[in-house]
Amino acid sequence: MSLALVGIISFLLMVGLMLLGMPIAAVMLLLGLFGGMAAHGLAFFTSSASVAWGVMSENNLTAIPLFVLLGEFLLRSGMADRMYTVFAAWLGRLPGGLLHTNIGCCALFAATSGSSVATAATIGTVALPSLRKNGYPMADSLGSLAAGGTLGIMIPPSINFIIYGSMTNTSVGKLFIAGIIPGLALAGFFMLWIYLSNMRRAERLAIIEVPWAERVRLLRHLVEPLLVFGIVMGTLYAGIATATESAALGLVVAFVLVTLQGKLNMALLENCFVSSAKTTGMILLIVLGAFVLNLALSLTGIGEALTKWVTGFGLGRVQLLLLLIGFYLVLGMFMDTLSMMVATIPLVFPVVSTVGVDPIWFGVFIVLMCELGLITPPVGMNLFVVQGIRPDGGPVSDVIRGALPYAIIMILFALLLIAVPAIATWLPTYMRG
Amino acid sequence: MQRFDRGLAMVFGFGLLALALAVAVETILRKVFNKSLQGVDELGGYVLAVTAALSFAVAVRSRTHIRIDLIHDHLPSALRVVLNALAALSIAVCALAALYMGWIALTDTIQYNATAQTPWATPLKFPQGAWVAALALFAAVAVYEAVRVIGLAATGQSGTIDRSFGPRGAKDELDEELADLKARGAVEVVPVAKERS
Repeated sequence: MSLALVGIISFLLMVGLMLLGMPIAAVMLLLGLFGGMAAHGLAFFTSSASVAWGVMSENNLTAIPLFVLLGEFLLRSGMADRMYTVFAAWLGRLPGGLLHTNIGCCALFAATSGSSVATAATIGTVALPSLRKNGYPMADSLGSLAAGGTLGIMIPPSINFIIYGSMTNTSVGKLFIAGIIPGLALAGFFMLWIYLSNMRRAERLAIIEVPWAERVRLLRHLVEPLLVFGIVMGTLYAGIATATESAALGLVVAFVLVTLQGKLNMALLENCFVSSAKTTGMILLIVLGAFVLNLALSLTGIGEALTKWVTGFGLGRVQLLLLLIGFYLVLGMFMDTLSMMVATIPLVFPVVSTVGVDPIWFGVFIVLMCELGLITPPVGMNLFVVQGIRPDGGPVSDVIRGALPYAIIMILFALLLIAVPAIATWLPTYMRG
Repeated sequence: MQRFDRGLAMVFGFGLLALALAVAVETILRKVFNKSLQGVDELGGYVLAVTAALSFAVAVRSRTHIRIDLIHDHLPSALRVVLNALAALSIAVCALAALYMGWIALTDTIQYNATAQTPWATPLKFPQGAWVAALALFAAVAVYEAVRVIGLAATGQSGTIDRSFGPRGAKDELDEELADLKARGAVEVVPVAKERS
């Protein structure tokens, strides 16, 4: 049996075990260990020991718990909540008014809090009753919430980029900067779609009218989140700080802001610490599992064999990427997106590298595929979260129907990204440092 | 046990906050005053190693290690019991494997008296020792949970297993978020836009 075949069977076995409900991290780590030990016996443990220490003491990855904790601070202190008011006041007048608010708010909220569940829960809870009262069709409202929540992993800071960067030796700072334009562009396309699809019924929908003075006054609620965001992204862009350092600066600033607001107390700290420890543990064990699996793939030669097998088809860059859109579309229907990304990078990255795909660009592409996976059934995290908060108890098919246009926009956007790679690669070239 | 979980999270959180402060001070000193407290990035790695291992244990206790519940919920009860027990066992085996890896790394370090390739030249046995201790805690917690689920399975308490060891779905996470949302009073803060139809 050829090594490539072993690789494909192992991959299918891995996905099968995950679908059966085995913990994702354990499946990857144990499959890596068994594979490695089958080929190299106990000596594999010695190699994986140095990999384990290497990964777990990798300062670049320290950015993960720091950003998770930063997100928790912004979320639990209520700083992120107040952004909704601002968006509702400013975007309410456009056709499809409150739906724009959903996209804008979800994008910003998800980017700051780093959690699509918290985003949908917060924005959904405050938005849905008012959407319903103002006569917005439930499917449209739910779809915009589900889609808006996906934008957070593209707009920095993004845990997905940190993990991608560490697994492919790509600069996390550059990935963050690269995600800005695609993230905003995608949000723009979502809003364009809402605008176009609501032109006709704009007359029937209530318009939220907020006096200008009030609108301006509300802007103060954006100051704090934007200050934190500005410090994180500004220091990165100017080359002053690495991703880990910018996370630390952002965390310190957020901590000071929460203290100044008089919100700092033991209960808040405990709440933030517990939530971020849970999330961090979940993410980092998957990362550790992926590194052990990656080691097994390279030591057994399976990774190389698979790369050779795929490149043997002689696919060009465009053909390969189109194929990958299909691959990730299907995989994203069934897998948790973070796990999908982590489990496929060791296989896919070497292949796309051989056809000359830019590593930064591919990071943006793979995160876009993760966003797609968040709203494709049957396993689309955001679909179920949004379904869980709807006040009217209708069927989940409403959410799926409502999110479908956004899934199509994402696929079209992926095609655009392939045609015009500069969307992702242009901004990072202007970075300093 | 609740207190234990909280304690882990506190060490995790304060550790990271202290690190963030050190990193922020270092970055400012370096960029503004052109002075460097060398080795903060090295410290960051050590803090990560220990806090990550602790967070593994927290995630075990709170069942946040991701499992896909697509098929799970549609399986017959007996099969669910088996899968939930296997899931807890697989995490325990992972934890023991990680501990063994840590042990190998530590004993190698001690044997060669290895130091970090940094200005500090830290004797690696200290950070690695702390790391291995945290991994041992993770392993203890994971084994404890696995033993607990097997005990429940042996006594036929499938209901308890479903509740305490089943995959946490989107629903569970959402409920937690909604509770927190209510607690922080966000709903009252947010929708103040005056509407006119």
